[in-house]
Amino acid sequence: MPNETIKIKVPVLARVEGEGALDLTIENKQITDLKLRIYEPPRYFEKFLEGRNHYDVLDTVARICGICPVAYQMTATHAIESIFGVTINPWIRAMRRLFYCGEWLQSHSLHIHLLAAPDFLKFNSAIEMATQYPDEVRRGLKLQALGNDLVVLFGARSVHPVGAKIGGFSKAPNKKTVDALLQRVTGAKQDAIDLIQWLDALDLPDDQQDFTSVALHHDNEYPFNEGRIISDDGLDITIAEFEKHFKEMQVDHSTALHCLLDGKPYLVGPLARLNLNKDQLPKEVQQLMQGLKAQFPSKNMFHSIIARAIEIYFTLIEAEKILSHYEVTDQACMRFETKAGTGYGCTEAPRGILWHRYDTDEKGCITKAIIVPPTSQNQPRIEEDLKNSLINFGLANTKEDLQLHAEKVIRNYDPCISCATHFLDLTLVRDGINESTKHQSTAAPCFKHVNLSKAAIIGIGSPIKGDELGWHAIDVLQKNKSIQKLKDKGLDLFKLDRPGILLSESIKDYDHVIIIDAMKTADQENNFVWLDIAKLKSVSNVYSSHQLGVAESLQWIKTVTLLPKDIALFAIAEIGHKNLVKNILQCLIA
Amino acid sequence: MSKSTVSKPSVAVHKFSSCDGCQLAFINMGEPLLALSQLVEIKYFAEAGPLDDKGHVDIAIIEGSVSTSKDEVRLQKIRNNCTHLMTIGACATSGGIQALRNMANTKEWIADIYANPSVIDNLDNSTPIKDHVKVDLELWGCPINKHQILTAIRALLFGVLPVEDSDKVCMECKRQQTVCVMVTKNEPCMGPVTRTGCGALCPHVGRDCFGCYGPAENPNTHALANRLQGLGLVKDEVARRFLFINSGAEPFHQEAQHWKK
Repeated sequence: MPNETIKIKVPVLARVEGEGALDLTIENKQITDLKLRIYEPPRYFEKFLEGRNHYDVLDTVARICGICPVAYQMTATHAIESIFGVTINPWIRAMRRLFYCGEWLQSHSLHIHLLAAPDFLKFNSAIEMATQYPDEVRRGLKLQALGNDLVVLFGARSVHPVGAKIGGFSKAPNKKTVDALLQRVTGAKQDAIDLIQWLDALDLPDDQQDFTSVALHHDNEYPFNEGRIISDDGLDITIAEFEKHFKEMQVDHSTALHCLLDGKPYLVGPLARLNLNKDQLPKEVQQLMQGLKAQFPSKNMFHSIIARAIEIYFTLIEAEKILSHYEVTDQACMRFETKAGTGYGCTEAPRGILWHRYDTDEKGCITKAIIVPPTSQNQPRIEEDLKNSLINFGLANTKEDLQLHAEKVIRNYDPCISCATHFLDLTLVRDGINESTKHQSTAAPCFKHVNLSKAAIIGIGSPIKGDELGWHAIDVLQKNKSIQKLKDKGLDLFKLDRPGILLSESIKDYDHVIIIDAMKTADQENNFVWLDIAKLKSVSNVYSSHQLGVAESLQWIKTVTLLPKDIALFAIAEIGHKNLVKNILQCLIA
Repeated sequence: MSKSTVSKPSVAVHKFSSCDGCQLAFINMGEPLLALSQLVEIKYFAEAGPLDDKGHVDIAIIEGSVSTSKDEVRLQKIRNNCTHLMTIGACATSGGIQALRNMANTKEWIADIYANPSVIDNLDNSTPIKDHVKVDLELWGCPINKHQILTAIRALLFGVLPVEDSDKVCMECKRQQTVCVMVTKNEPCMGPVTRTGCGALCPHVGRDCFGCYGPAENPNTHALANRLQGLGLVKDEVARRFLFINSGAEPFHQEAQHWKK
C-alpha cells in the first residue's frame, strides 16, 4: 500500500488546560500533520487583574485552574510579597510547603490511578482496572483524599481554597486537626512505597528521547516555592531573568500560547523535576530509588508515572516532618505596607514551573500581570514527543493502535485531568431505592469493645421549630454526670445542622457512633426508636424531617463502605430524659 | 407477562468556558462516585471519560459559560436532548469571573494577548446558560461542592425538586457561632448578601466572604454597599466587591452601577 493515508482525529481530548483535540495525518508512512489543538476559549485573567487591589489577586488566579489552585495562589503571593518587601517567618514558609504537598499529593494520585495506569495495564478505565486491582485503586483514592484534606487544612476547601493570603494564612489550624492528619500521613507512607514498587514492576514502553528538562532548584531541599530556574543544558538563572530566555508565541491551532526556551521545546513537570533535583530528596526516598528498575535521571518520558509516585512518597515524608513539629502561632500572616514595583514568582505546580510577573502601583493595585502556566510550556514538547514516539512505535501499526499510543503519550504529560480518561462506565442495576424495609426496635443495640476515644454521639437538627430535638438531646446528655464521665475518657458529643451526605465527613474518624435525630412519624407506642443501619438494605424517608434524611445519608455512606464499625440511629419524637440517657448508656457500656 | 426492565436515569455532564473546578466536585468525590454511578448512568462526561452524546438524557449538567460562536448551537442541542437541565457553578449560572470582560473591550484585549487575533473565536460577552435556553435548576458556587450535587441528584431521583438554599451566609455563620468578621475586624464581608451553601468557609477561617456563591434571596445590596463605604472603601472598591466572581448576577451588577467611576 504505497499511497496509504491515515487520518486520525480525536475531536475531544477532554481537557488540556481546557479543551483540546488531536489531529494526525500519516501519508506514505510519514507524519505530514500533527497538531495538539487547544480550542478552550481564552479567559483573560491577566486583564481582569489590571486595576484590582492586591487582596483580590489570590481569589482571582485560583480560578484559572480547578485542579491546581494552590500553585496559582503560591506563585502570585510570592511575586507580590517580593514587591512589598515582605519577609515571611519560618512558620509560614513551612506551612506553604505543607499546603503545596497536599496539592501534589491529590493531583499526582488522581493522574496515576484514574488517567495513566489503566493505559499501561491495558484497561479502558480505572473502574475496569478496579475489578482486577481493587486494592490499588482504593489505595489511590485514599492518597488523593489525603492530599485534598491537607489543602483543606489551610484552605477550608480543596478547589479554590480560601485560607491563603498575601503575607501568609488567615488562620493557624488547631493542633487536634493537625495531629489527626499527621497520623494519616504517617500511615500512608507504606502505601506510597507499595505504589512505587507496583508501578516500577509494570511493563512500561522504553522510548528514549532527547529533550531538555527545566525545573526550579534549591540548594537544600526539593523545590516548591523557591529556587533558581535550571536545565540539564546548563541554564541557571534567577526567576526574574525568565523573560530573557523563555518566549511565549501564538500558533494558529491553539488558544494557549506556546512557550519556548531559547527557541526550542523543553519539558517541565515531575520527570524534569526529578531529573534535576534527585539529590535534594530525603535519604529514604533516594534509597528506595536505588532498588528500582527505572533509574533517574531518565530520558524515557514513560517514567513520568514513576516520578509522580516518587514525589508522592516525598510529599508524605515532607508533610510528616512539618506536621510533627507543628505549633499553633499567633503570627500566621505578616504585616506589610503596599509599594509600587515589579515582582516575579515561580513555583513548582504539580505539572511543572508556573511563572508570574506583576507590576503594582503604590496603593498595591495591579497595573500589569503576566502568567505562564506549565501546560503552555509543555505543549511544543508534547507535539515533538508525539512525532518521535509514533515513529519509534512504528507508523505501520493499525489506526486504533496509533491513536491509543498517541493518547497515551499525551496523557503522560498530565495536561490537566481528563485527556481521555474513562471513568464512569459502570452499569450496575439500581436496586430498589424506595424499598422501605424496616429494622427498628425499642431495645438499644449494644456496641462491643467500645474504645471511648473513638466514640461519638451526634445530635442532628436545624433551627426549624420541632426539629431541634437532636440538638436538645445533646444538651441534655452534656449535663448528665454519667455521660460526663465517658466524656472524660474521650467520648465526643456534638451537634450538626442537616448535614446530608456531609455526615460522612463527620463520622469518618470514629469507630462507634450514635446519631440522634428527630422523628417525624412517631412510633405509635413509643417516643423513640432505634434503627439498625448495619442491617438495613435500604431505607425510606419516613423518619426524618430533613431534606436528605440522615438514614439515607447513612445508607449512602454504607454503600461505599465508609461506615464506622458500630453505628446506630436513635430517633426521638420527644426528649424523654430518662429514656434518652438510659438508652445511650446501654448502647455504649453494655 | 414479562418483567419490565427499569433503566437507570441517565446523566450528561457538559463543559463550556470554565476552570473545570465544578466537575471536580464529581471527581474528588472519591468512593461516593462509585455509589452515584450505581444510581445513574453517566453517558457523557469528557473530563472523566464517557463520550456518548447521542440520544436523550434525563439530566444534563452544565459547567461553564457561553463564550464562543459555536457554544449556542451546542447548547441548543443539549437542551433538545434532555429532560432536566441543571447548571453548576458561577460560570454557568451567572457568566462567572470571565463575565468581567463584558464591561471591557474584548477585541482590544485579544489584540493585546494574541499576535494573530483573527483566529481567536470569542464572543464579546461571557453569558450564563439561562440567557440562551431554559434552565430547570441552578447550583450556585465557585466552585460547587459534592454535597450540593449529590443532594440535587438524589432529590431528582426521588422525583422531587431539590430544595434551594438561598439563605444568606450570615445565617450560616450564626448557626456555626462563627464570630462576625465585619463587626469584629472591619473586614468588607459580602456575607449579608451572598447565598449560603459553602458552609460559610471564609468567615470560619477569619476572613471576609467575597460572594463566590452569588446573590442570596432578597439581598439588601445597597445597605451593604453603604456599610462598605463606611468601612473606608472608596467608591471604585465598593463596585469591585460586587464585580468579581458573579459580576453578571443581576443584583450584584445593578448595585455596582451606583458606585462605578
